[in-house]
Amino acid sequence: MTKRAFPGATWMAVSTFAIPLSIALIFWWLPDDADQGFSQKIFYLHVPIALTTYAAFAYGAYAAVRYLRSRDAVWDLRSYVGIHVGTIFGTLVLVTGSLWAKVSWGLWWNWSERQLNVFLVLFLYYCAYFMLRFSIDEGERRATYSAVYTLLGIALVPLSFLAVRLLGSIFHPTVFTHEGAQMPGTFLLGFLVALAGMLALAVAMVQLELRGKRAALRVRELRRRLVGDDL
Amino acid sequence: MIGAALTLAGKDLRLELRRREVVLGMAQFVIVTLVIAHFALVAVGDRQLPKAAAGVLWIAVLFTALLALGRAFAADHEDGALDAVLIAPIDRGAIWLGKVLAQLTFLAAMEVVAVPAFWLFFFQTSGPDIRALLAALVLANVGIASVGVLVSALAQAGRARDVLLPVLLLPLLVPLVLAAVVATLGSFPGGDGSVRALGFLALFDTLFVLLAWGTYEHLSGD
Amino acid sequence: MTEAPTVALRGCSKRFGERIALRRVTLTVHRGETLALLGPNGSGKSTLLRLVAGLSWPTAGDVEIDGVAATRLARASRGALGYLGHQTQAWRGLTARENLTVMADLHRLDAPVVAAALATVGLADRGEDRIDGFSRGMRQRLAIARTLLHDPTLLLADEPTTGLDTDGLAMLDDVLERRRGDATVLLATHDEAFAARHADRVVRLAGGEIVA
Repeated sequence: MTKRAFPGATWMAVSTFAIPLSIALIFWWLPDDADQGFSQKIFYLHVPIALTTYAAFAYGAYAAVRYLRSRDAVWDLRSYVGIHVGTIFGTLVLVTGSLWAKVSWGLWWNWSERQLNVFLVLFLYYCAYFMLRFSIDEGERRATYSAVYTLLGIALVPLSFLAVRLLGSIFHPTVFTHEGAQMPGTFLLGFLVALAGMLALAVAMVQLELRGKRAALRVRELRRRLVGDDL
Repeated sequence: MIGAALTLAGKDLRLELRRREVVLGMAQFVIVTLVIAHFALVAVGDRQLPKAAAGVLWIAVLFTALLALGRAFAADHEDGALDAVLIAPIDRGAIWLGKVLAQLTFLAAMEVVAVPAFWLFFFQTSGPDIRALLAALVLANVGIASVGVLVSALAQAGRARDVLLPVLLLPLLVPLVLAAVVATLGSFPGGDGSVRALGFLALFDTLFVLLAWGTYEHLSGD
Repeated sequence: MTEAPTVALRGCSKRFGERIALRRVTLTVHRGETLALLGPNGSGKSTLLRLVAGLSWPTAGDVEIDGVAATRLARASRGALGYLGHQTQAWRGLTARENLTVMADLHRLDAPVVAAALATVGLADRGEDRIDGFSRGMRQRLAIARTLLHDPTLLLADEPTTGLDTDGLAMLDDVLERRRGDATVLLATHDEAFAARHADRVVRLAGGEIVA
């Protein structure tokens, strides 16, 4: 293991540069949206955070597959950390989404906003992941069962999108969509910088948490060895 | 594979016929739930009631299914018989398939009671299109049973397995419930059909059957 | 009948939460050998057998049956395994015959095998009774019948004498002796005399470790 004082330092540096830059771009450089005005600017934070959440969950699922193939405990840890970081970003998605809903529609939660509802389902699903994980004793069984549950998300994510897209409109005709909106070059730049910043932050958080978890495991191992309990 | 699954499902059905622990309880529970829902919706006007009823039906079916799924492995754990089955020279997927077949039977038996009661409480004069409703029930049952058995097996490993099962299972079934409700609405008088929702249910079933069957083999051992 | 396998444990440990059930056990059971694991309750005998049966994952180390990890045995090799656990592994709502028939179907065996197994353990005239009413000894007889149904070449028996009366013990002695040499056998027991009667070799466990 290379000795680095601060794991994820590189990515942390990228994000500490990119996130303030994106905020500066969004609030001082980009013009206000023609329809929604100033409030639309939250789009440049909300959507990159949401995409980052999906990336973290996807990493968690990928690590779960790797775990089931290799039975290497490090992939179990990676899967868990990916999902944990994804859940943190997911909380931010729900908060920013609901702020946006409040400003746009005057309601904290808009049940006809499809993406937000998909997100809510996934969020509940990943919260349940932690329930499962923490109710099984540590060991190969916990790792395996957590991985299997994670894999179910691979079907749940596309199905949830499809469900609200195909079927949701029956209850709530969609009044406003932000996906597929035309983004001129300047808007795209602000969006991409924000996305890069969020992704870099997520990578840094994953690396940092992995290092912390590994250190905790090592400390426990040493403590057990100290009392002669050397497994 | 199929032979072993049928053997195991037959064993579960025989146990249920002897002990009558699950299906009678499910039938009672679903009726009581529908009655409670009817009273809970007392403020909903007569014209809106059928629309609300589609949701009521699926909440009742789903929660009743949890009763059976929670007991799915009870007899196998009682004296450790599952160990003998795990060691037997069969695909582990057959254990899952056998349980799914047994659960499908329980669900169907419960719905034989639930659907007429549902009609009696919420419609009486005009009925839904039976074929469309039946299709929705069959497709939703397959989804509930196939995901439910896998998740029930997962929940067995946890400390609070009774709490764990609904917490783990319900988020996964949200898309299924949405589609089932749309399909049910489509089967009502004046409904505009439910082909799209039924197609979605079929897709849900296909994806989760493949996933559950593919991952179940990992769920053995402590 | 396939040849009896070799069982090898290397540096095998099993931890349940904060409790260590097995600590770095290295042990080889040779082809056709009967090995007795002697030890008091809680010494790790049952844990060791569950690891060999592939029903439990080792926390550290390897358990191999003919060179294949016990938890990843191919279907056919699992079929050569007979595991008599500390639970009876039967379904209470079924009759003795129905219990054996389910297992016979899973092993693709015919009905005469079930009848023969019931006769061997002295349950021929109780086959149609539901086992809810059986005594512990009778359930143990049924468990023995279930374990031997498919003539396993690797037999794992965890306190096989539990609940058996004198006749039952004689029956168990008889079936074990008949298999001696043809099957690799791991017997977990606290009964010195029983171990001495059947084992080619005795290994003593205490506190999850091999002590002799």
